[in-house]
Amino acid sequence: MSIDITGLNKTFGDFVALDDVNVSLPTGQLTALLGPSGGGKSTLLRIIAGLDTADSGTVSIEGVDATKLPPQKRNVGFVFQHYAVFKHMTVAKNVAFGLEIRKRPKEEIAARVDELLKLVHLSQFSHRLPSQLSGGQRQRMALARALAVEPTVLLLDEPFGALDAKVRKELREWLRRLHDEVAVTTVFVTHDQEEALEVADEIVVINEGRVEQVGSPDELYDQPANDFVMSFLGEVTTLGGASLRPHDIEVATAPHSAGAVEGSISRMLRIGFEVRLTVLTVDGDEVAVVLTRTHARSLGLTEGATVWLTPANGATVIPSMRASLAG
Amino acid sequence: MVDVSTPTKWALRILALGYIFFLVAWPVALVVRETFSDGLTTLTDALSDDQVTGALQLTLMIAVWAVVINLVFGVSISLLLVRYEFPGKRVLSALIDLPLSVSPVVVGLALLLVYNGRSGWFGPGIESTGYRVIFDSPGMIMATCFVALPLIIREVVPVLHEIGDDQEQAARSLGANAPQTFWRITLPSIKWAVVYGVVLSLARSLGEFGAVKIVSGNITGRTQTATLVVEAKYQNFQQSEAYATSFLLIFVSIACLIVVAFLRPKNEA
Ligand SMILES: Nc1ncnc2c1ncn2[C@@H]1O[C@H](COP(=O)(O)OP(=O)(O)O)[C@@H](O)[C@H]1O
Ligand SMILES: [Mg+2]
Repeated sequence: MSIDITGLNKTFGDFVALDDVNVSLPTGQLTALLGPSGGGKSTLLRIIAGLDTADSGTVSIEGVDATKLPPQKRNVGFVFQHYAVFKHMTVAKNVAFGLEIRKRPKEEIAARVDELLKLVHLSQFSHRLPSQLSGGQRQRMALARALAVEPTVLLLDEPFGALDAKVRKELREWLRRLHDEVAVTTVFVTHDQEEALEVADEIVVINEGRVEQVGSPDELYDQPANDFVMSFLGEVTTLGGASLRPHDIEVATAPHSAGAVEGSISRMLRIGFEVRLTVLTVDGDEVAVVLTRTHARSLGLTEGATVWLTPANGATVIPSMRASLAG
Repeated sequence: MVDVSTPTKWALRILALGYIFFLVAWPVALVVRETFSDGLTTLTDALSDDQVTGALQLTLMIAVWAVVINLVFGVSISLLLVRYEFPGKRVLSALIDLPLSVSPVVVGLALLLVYNGRSGWFGPGIESTGYRVIFDSPGMIMATCFVALPLIIREVVPVLHEIGDDQEQAARSLGANAPQTFWRITLPSIKWAVVYGVVLSLARSLGEFGAVKIVSGNITGRTQTATLVVEAKYQNFQQSEAYATSFLLIFVSIACLIVVAFLRPKNEA
């Protein structure tokens, strides 16, 4: 394991930001720390980098106890949400910073900066100031700057959070390819489940300062440990006291199977290729159902029609904890 | 912009210009006119008077020391105030503004109480080691430091707030230690605020009168600064030398302001 975290606690005043966090992050992989904002993800990442200190607990990086090490001795690369570019330095100087601090020979620095700028597609901008770059370019420069020192681990705090949706999507695909090329242990924070599911090898779900679940995207999606993880990774509805995904519900126009829940379609919404139904069951529950347009048409569904609902075969269904959470 | 009718605009302009003219421009212009009323003779006479040249040298020496000391402490205190949390921070911040509100004469008197050689708290102790604070340059430098203290801090603190500590954290994560982070990241970012603060301090230090008058003892030829010479000459009915010395003080101040106006890039506040 590349990063081992044991018994980590952190409070700000009387607010508990991290509550007994234990987690191990695998070497060479791309791990996402996923959770709602305010959950403690950044705090955890900053403690790993040494930019914050924990109240108790230990952090070890590649087997070295780093709990008491200052940030400059941990050899981690950190990429900030708002880039944290050195405003008074050119792009090339920004990237060279870590190497100059390490007093590497001039020619070596120049060569390495060239290579990194090529890697992040910024070669033609090397003499510009950061203020002359777009947000996406600034973040790629910040990434090159962090990679320049050949860090043991690369930490990214919502690296694409300040960018618009399109650039965001491009950059996360690019990050995935870059990681496959450079293969440095990488941990990135996000509150976007799609981003985590798409890019990460491993996901750590964090909520209210606690680790809710650790696993691959498939594990998390197919076997969520609890209601929270399930609802955070995608849309959830309840049918007959169980939580499941709206697209995992089968709709029939006649009571074929025993245990099917009867209801009437109270709303029908067509968005692109999918149709979203709100079904009012005879028990008084509102169930959300998603199916394809073609499927809906073949069943001849209309608002007000009576339908019977059953969980699809192989659907992820977990007993609903809503009631216990509310109580 | 709020739409202001043309007559109002003109009225405001005339009011502002008139105010500045009668308060600043005209009096200053008169000093300049008096200085040059008989060509350059007044100025050359003043510059060949040992009392004047000695005072100018002393003033410059004291101002430079005070600015250097305030530069080091000013930047350190600014960093302390913005980047660190500690008990008593608000008190410190309030104390720094004190020199702006306390009359320099009071400052001089207070320093006299603490450091005088006969009954001061520290004075006798220091004098027994062979140094003199009061009625000598150390006391004058201290008094000047005191009155100019807030100028650098008040310039630097807002800029430190504005740039935040993101860049400093990035530097730390890239391997820079605290001094490297300061010299390579923090200082370049606050450079213009520091320059501006230094120039303001210099101008303020050159012109200090009240506090210095008390701690210096105003000894002619030894502890008399330029402003004290102006007063002495004026009271001795040597008006023309008083004007000439005043002119030199004004000249340096205006030069300072012009230098800053040229140095400071337009887009950087
Ligand atoms: N320096 C700080 N002082 C006080 N509270 C903080 C500080 N940093 C973070 N917090 C609080 O800790 C909680 C977790 O913050 P953070 O780790 O930034 O969450 P996330 O990155 O998951 O959005 C938030 O409620 C935040 O307000
Ligand atoms: Mg965060």
